[in-house]
Amino acid sequence: MTIQIDSNQEFMAAQRATISELETPVIEIWDGVLALPIVGTVDTVRAQNMTESLLLKIVETKSEIVILDITGVPIVDTSVSRHLLETISAARLLGAEVLLVGLTARTAMTLVHLGLDLAGVTTRTTMAKGLQLAFARLGLEVVSGRKISAEL
Amino acid sequence: MSVPVIQVGSCLIATLTEEIGDAEALDLQETLNSRIEKSSATGVLLDISVLETIDSFLGRLLNEITLGARLLGAETVVAGMRPAVAMTLVELGLKLDGVRSTLDAERGLALLGQHLNGNSHT
Repeated sequence: MTIQIDSNQEFMAAQRATISELETPVIEIWDGVLALPIVGTVDTVRAQNMTESLLLKIVETKSEIVILDITGVPIVDTSVSRHLLETISAARLLGAEVLLVGLTARTAMTLVHLGLDLAGVTTRTTMAKGLQLAFARLGLEVVSGRKISAEL
Repeated sequence: MSVPVIQVGSCLIATLTEEIGDAEALDLQETLNSRIEKSSATGVLLDISVLETIDSFLGRLLNEITLGARLLGAETVVAGMRPAVAMTLVELGLKLDGVRSTLDAERGLALLGQHLNGNSHT
């Protein structure tokens, strides 16, 4: 009986570890550009873990730009936006510029209704637009290879 | 021991050490302000890479130094903040909104250089 409970607990612990690994992936999508896709809601513990792994990755990769993708966050309320702003502030203190992408019309309306205008945060609707802006900031340009070979 | 401030070109550089207390920090603020006033410095680089902790007093003071320097016509960059320090400051509610940060001193100098060039053109 006790063995059964023990193995159950172990299983739960392993599951929790897996979830916490899955919830905060920080991806280096380009030289000096990090992406942090957030899926699901953001609570205090998760926000802290997220911020910590993001900051460590910024130092490790010497990144200048961070793209925070909130496409997968169902509702951005007061507490979620406060956590996001804290993450953004912390990344800025390390010299990184943060772009918030994945805002939907509904999110924007909720934020405005709540009086949270995210002043000073650069926002875009999609990850693609965010990446484009990141490239512009780094002085990079995406050029179609087909066009170049046609010119040659 | 007071924090030494060196001038390289039009940039004042101060490296904060772990032993910095409230008195030394206030002393640094005064030194920087008077040095900016007397010299032609247009940039201030504060290297805090060795600091493992920043209390609310020093955090506020960094903000004050930045704002004071700006009034005197110099831009301030805080360089090399550690992740743990950044998290503590944010948790304390000190977002240092007026302060520009860079990952290390090298980037800080580059940023100040850019700022100077931008000014000379206008």
